[in-house]
Amino acid sequence: MTLAAPGRAGPPARLGVDVPAALNLVGSLVKYLGPASLLPVAFAIAHSEPAWPFLAAGALVSGFGLALERLTRGAEEVGIREGYLVISLVWLVAGVYGALPYMLAGNHQLGRPIDALFEGMSGFTTTGASTATDVAALPVSIQVWRQLTIWLGGIGVVALGLAVLPRLRVGGRQLLESELAGGGTQPLSGRIRDTVGRFWRLYIVLSTAGFLALALPGWLGAGRAMDTFDALAHALSTIGTGSFSTESHSIGAFGGLTQWTVVVFMAIAGMNFLVLYRALFQRRPREAARDEELRLYLAILVVAGAAVAAILLSRGPEHGEAAIRAGVFEVTSIVTTTGYFTVDYGHWPTFALMALALLFFVGGCAGSTAGSIKVVRHLLLARVLGREVERTVHPELVRPVRLGGAVVEQQTLLAVISFVLIYVAVFVLGTAVLALDAAFHGPHLNVLDLVFATASTLANAGVGLGPAGTTGSFAAFGDPSTVAMTLLMWVGRLEILPVVVLLRRSYWQL
Amino acid sequence: MRGAEDAAYAQLDVKVFVLGAGLVGATVVEALHAGHHVTVVDLDPRPLKPLAQLYDVATVQGSAASGRELAAAGIGQAGLVIACTSQDEANLVAGTIVRKLAPNAITIVRTSSAEYAEIWRESRLDVDFVVSTERETARAVSQAIGMPYARQTDTFADGKIQIVELDVGARASGDVVGKKLRDARLPGGSRVAGIIRGGRAVLPDGDAVIAPGDRVVAIGSPLAAHQWCQLVSPSGADVRDVVVFGAQQLGAAIVRALVDQGISVRVVEADAARAALVAERLPEARVFNTTGLDPGFMQREGIARVQAAIFAMRDDARNLFAATLARVQGVPYTIALAHDPVSARVYETGGIDVSVDPRRVTAEAIVRFAHDPRTQQVSMLEGDRYEILDVTTRPESELVGLPLREMPIQDALIGAIVRNHEAIFPCSDDVLQAGDRVIVFTESSRAAEVERAL
Repeated sequence: MTLAAPGRAGPPARLGVDVPAALNLVGSLVKYLGPASLLPVAFAIAHSEPAWPFLAAGALVSGFGLALERLTRGAEEVGIREGYLVISLVWLVAGVYGALPYMLAGNHQLGRPIDALFEGMSGFTTTGASTATDVAALPVSIQVWRQLTIWLGGIGVVALGLAVLPRLRVGGRQLLESELAGGGTQPLSGRIRDTVGRFWRLYIVLSTAGFLALALPGWLGAGRAMDTFDALAHALSTIGTGSFSTESHSIGAFGGLTQWTVVVFMAIAGMNFLVLYRALFQRRPREAARDEELRLYLAILVVAGAAVAAILLSRGPEHGEAAIRAGVFEVTSIVTTTGYFTVDYGHWPTFALMALALLFFVGGCAGSTAGSIKVVRHLLLARVLGREVERTVHPELVRPVRLGGAVVEQQTLLAVISFVLIYVAVFVLGTAVLALDAAFHGPHLNVLDLVFATASTLANAGVGLGPAGTTGSFAAFGDPSTVAMTLLMWVGRLEILPVVVLLRRSYWQL
Repeated sequence: MRGAEDAAYAQLDVKVFVLGAGLVGATVVEALHAGHHVTVVDLDPRPLKPLAQLYDVATVQGSAASGRELAAAGIGQAGLVIACTSQDEANLVAGTIVRKLAPNAITIVRTSSAEYAEIWRESRLDVDFVVSTERETARAVSQAIGMPYARQTDTFADGKIQIVELDVGARASGDVVGKKLRDARLPGGSRVAGIIRGGRAVLPDGDAVIAPGDRVVAIGSPLAAHQWCQLVSPSGADVRDVVVFGAQQLGAAIVRALVDQGISVRVVEADAARAALVAERLPEARVFNTTGLDPGFMQREGIARVQAAIFAMRDDARNLFAATLARVQGVPYTIALAHDPVSARVYETGGIDVSVDPRRVTAEAIVRFAHDPRTQQVSMLEGDRYEILDVTTRPESELVGLPLREMPIQDALIGAIVRNHEAIFPCSDDVLQAGDRVIVFTESSRAAEVERAL
């Protein structure tokens, strides 16, 4: 008796995704990351710190990119389908790249691979959550590297939001399909290059403006202002909406004027870069004034800031101008998913903390460096819900949902709703994992601590509460939680769906 | 507009070509045959014969879009060409051909959509006048809405002057009813231009008396016209809430005209795709996707509480049915489009308050322009017997300098004068000046005489 070998007879299952082409694009993108390590090298030499970890990391990533490109030569046609794989891998490679110097330098705070990967991913996803317990004690070159990863991640996020995600139709992003993202025939790699090329200038201008605004008071001799190094470091992370700092007390180490300046630049970094680009470089500021997302975004900042400030004024622990400043600062920091802090908000009234926890789910504008759900999705969700409530009373009513006067397609609305639901589902799942891990390995966490940790990493905000709060760090979590939060930052940055898509068999099949 | 100063045109005996002998064409022929040599061109011989018999006009069987056939029909001598077949493109082609064959002829083109009218307004179509059915229908309906219970309304001089035709109800105010006009307290800035009693219209003098059951034609400022409505039909309130059934081409044009006037409009359209499209294009309107024949829907949405319902579906029978249902539900004022000439009478019997015939209003707009390029608007009141002319007086007119009471023309009444951009509602002592724009109420048979005198 003979049995036919099961499944062996037919042709091998063919892949529906051109993996070599995807890898080729990944290689050609990450190879440009290498030279970035030259900046910390310069600081290392200036401060007589070891420079080789950065050189090695840079050489490794560029070598890896070039090798990948060489190995997959000839497969350069990247379609939409490969896009999901490309962006997932790019951010994974970037996270590892960010981690390499910490590991190679054997830093006692960040040297463990799991912590280093968390820190690296936190940087390139512009989160800013840190496992370092005393950032001020870190070597200067390491500090520079941390700030730089956020800044580099930021321009990547802008390209992602303006060129890639709309074309991948992630979470209703297609409605933001501009002439940049376009449905045109230009290949994905070309789009990414074009977008980065165009917004590079805006990104540099904003960063320079931030640097000057932060450094100027110090140069003029104002008290508690940033020195040149601090101004550079914080300008890099503010525009990238990440919260790495050179100070243990974050922006709280500086005076009121500096804090207000940071508020302004955080708010700018949370705006749609396409809108900013048109307003500043194409002299079309009217468009910005009419942009519904921008208006709602600013309204949220003002209303939430006022609400939290009012609570602090009436209930403490802050008083007077300091209370207003602290409230507005923390609200802006969380809405834009930057994650700086000025005071120890851990002692704030529960209402204020609850408000902050909810604000993690707002996010900045689409096309900014901010993370989370994004204001435009909330806007559409509210309009869909309003329409559905109205339709329960008027079943025959036909009312298209509009954004900026244009009708939004039904499919786009469904994608937005699906995205918000998946986002919340991932949040719940992440909280469960963290809670489980905390139950077995500690630390002791209350519900708000858990919510902050999960929501803040998923939204790429990076502020923690309790053990990970202003006086602690994310090092307090056990290793399983650290890995889980690393994944949350990665998934959150990519707006979840590209990663979820990769998990489906249908993605890989022809 | 070319030819507006064409003096030769004011004379009679102009050769008029009407292309298309459908309902619009027939109405145009009816209005123009008296003073002019009319030739009607149509592909189909059947409608041509009755026109020839009724109005003594020449008929040619041929295509409006064929240059050869038009030339053979003698269009080269035409002074006025009206292209009013049922096909927009054929009409536009005809207009272009005529421009070559008869460069001096004035061309009027009928289109169904408002789009061609807009293109023409932007001077991108080389014809003298474009009349769009969409626009004329929307205008007729919105005028009927703006003036509830007015049988017919028209505006002149960019809306400074309105003419309303009203049924005098039993509850009409004693200020106007039962008194000699010279004693009655009429709304300021208005005149009574005509009283229609028992099917006969008279141009009233100061001794005339308005009685309940009469139909009154009043001319005045928009405010006065509004006051007239209030006085004669006291229940007529401001219309703010309207429902339109049917959002196809004409329905959508009506909705657009109404929302432009700031009226809150609900739209009912049975076709889901069309409903979605209209909802997208007209964000100010609330669109419902259902038939107009669903009492449950009408109840749920409180349709009975609207001030007026407009039935603009493409099927007259359906319009009548839906309107009757609406009336049963308690809708106080119904307006329906009558695509078939018979429908108007059926509607009237069925209790619909106003019927608007899209082709008839189109024809009226054409005739208004055709009468005289100087005449900007002519309403054909009460089936053609009376007309309202809007004429600018020539300096050489012998009527200039005469007080109105000494006017030699019989059976004509000057209802309003526009002088220096201001509307005057004259009494018998006012004197006519050169360049005055006068709104004259006159018998149709004397319209040409009045125009010449001015």
